[in-house]
Amino acid sequence: MPLLEVRGLTKRFLGVTAVDAVDLAVDAGELVSLIGPNGSGKTTLFNCVTGLLLPDAGRVALRGRDVTGAAAHTIARLGIGRTFQLVSVFPRLSALENLVTFLQQHQEESFAGRLFRLPAVRRLEAAAVERARHLLDSVGLGARADVPAGSLSYGQKKLLAFAAALMPDPELVLLDEPAAAVNPTMIEQMKAHIRALHRAGKTVVLVEHNMDVVMDISERVVVLDHGQKIAEGTPEAIRRDPRVVEAYFGS
Amino acid sequence: MRAARAAVAAAVLVAAPWLVAAVAPGAQRYVLHVLIFTCLYAALALSYDLVVGHVGSLSLAHPAFFGIGAYTAALLVTEARWPFAAALPAAVAAAGVAALAIGVPMFRLTEHSFAMGTLGFAVVVQIVATNWVDFTRGPLCVTGIPKPALGSWRAATLPAAYWMALAAVTLVALFYRGLTTFRLGRAFHAVRDNETLAAAAAIDPLKYRMLAFAIAGALAGGIGTLYVSYVGVLCPGELAVSLTVSLLVMVFLGGVGSLRGVLVGAAAFTALPEVLRMAPTWRMVIYGLLLLVIVIRWPDGVGGVLRRRAPAR
Repeated sequence: MPLLEVRGLTKRFLGVTAVDAVDLAVDAGELVSLIGPNGSGKTTLFNCVTGLLLPDAGRVALRGRDVTGAAAHTIARLGIGRTFQLVSVFPRLSALENLVTFLQQHQEESFAGRLFRLPAVRRLEAAAVERARHLLDSVGLGARADVPAGSLSYGQKKLLAFAAALMPDPELVLLDEPAAAVNPTMIEQMKAHIRALHRAGKTVVLVEHNMDVVMDISERVVVLDHGQKIAEGTPEAIRRDPRVVEAYFGS
Repeated sequence: MRAARAAVAAAVLVAAPWLVAAVAPGAQRYVLHVLIFTCLYAALALSYDLVVGHVGSLSLAHPAFFGIGAYTAALLVTEARWPFAAALPAAVAAAGVAALAIGVPMFRLTEHSFAMGTLGFAVVVQIVATNWVDFTRGPLCVTGIPKPALGSWRAATLPAAYWMALAAVTLVALFYRGLTTFRLGRAFHAVRDNETLAAAAAIDPLKYRMLAFAIAGALAGGIGTLYVSYVGVLCPGELAVSLTVSLLVMVFLGGVGSLRGVLVGAAAFTALPEVLRMAPTWRMVIYGLLLLVIVIRWPDGVGGVLRRRAPAR
């Protein structure tokens, strides 16, 4: 059974079909890239999978469990972590607190425990802080732990958002353009982080325009054009596929 | 150092009735009355800030919850002869349930529509209070509301009423701090600052908005109870939308989302009109001009100025 299974997913906006009957199956441990020209429906597909958008047709299943139409916070709870194309952090919280925020709902949601800072919740908090420090160190932001996230540089915010998505140790990580608009050094860093994640057994789906990154790290590439899946295969096969060349370079 | 200062401040606040009697014996009643109002307004402003400051929803319904609590308590103690100790939790529950019930449809609205919807609710509650004469006595007002009592002890004197109000604002402030820091505070602020990202962090935005709204409503109902028990009379005018304006002034000019800011704002903007009585004719003109100057000079609120003056320890 695939970890993530998307069947016949369709999303329309005012008559424009942004995602058109797309099928996609991702097995546990895979590293899959989703590519396609701008406006081909990649982010819309992500948003339908993560519950931010309600698809018009089709279904999304996680480990065989139908999650179509579930709320975004519910899907996050079920073990899908994601980053956003427009880099998103909580600007007024510190870098460390940003990360803790991404784990705390997975640990407990007891109102009284939180209000009165009961010992059990404080222990969970300490564990969350420890994990957050570890993750900050691993993306090279250890020295910026107590800085408000809003004052970090663009690239640092991107790394922070990446670390935040990993906080609850999700089985499936969706990354929306992790290598966009950052300098070459950081692109290499991002590649290394994504590879490390893959080696650690996590399932990763990324949307990316940077072909070097896609061809370099993906096991499988899925190509969307005008909302439809036009090709799917290994990076080598995709590079030679005439339909892909047409979609990217054609009229 | 900090603990010592806090202890001195607490001692001064508790001893205020005697201090006022020693310093200005002729004005004790008046000063205590202003202090009681300041405490009750500060508590109400803190409860209001839970919604506007911490989950970022501009609710204009706060007078309605204050009024629902006040009317529940006033009618229970006068008509049904309930003791204060039973009427208070009933009023808190009534206002909290009203907030939950109204929150469900209201939070389907966003931003300005939410403000308009809650304003509509506040207006409807006041109209009901004014016109349902058989139940609320309408413009004839509920009168003869007894002073708060716990068992055989009755807060009949002004100092006793002051201590009750002080205890109320202290409790609300402690509760406010518990709600707005640590994990609850983080969840509220995440929802306020970026709802989409909050959902990606497995935080249910609606749940946390409802939580803040219902708690704020319940607290407002409790403060309404203390208010009518102190004043002794409850008229529909107390639920006027203009109360929201006062609360907005206190919260935004004090420092939205900040415990200290809201307390400073409530103290300043309850006491200020009283101080300005020295110039009766120009009182409200000066008040208005001061508000303008503050908004222009300190857009983040006067609480923030104090914070900058006293650098982080």
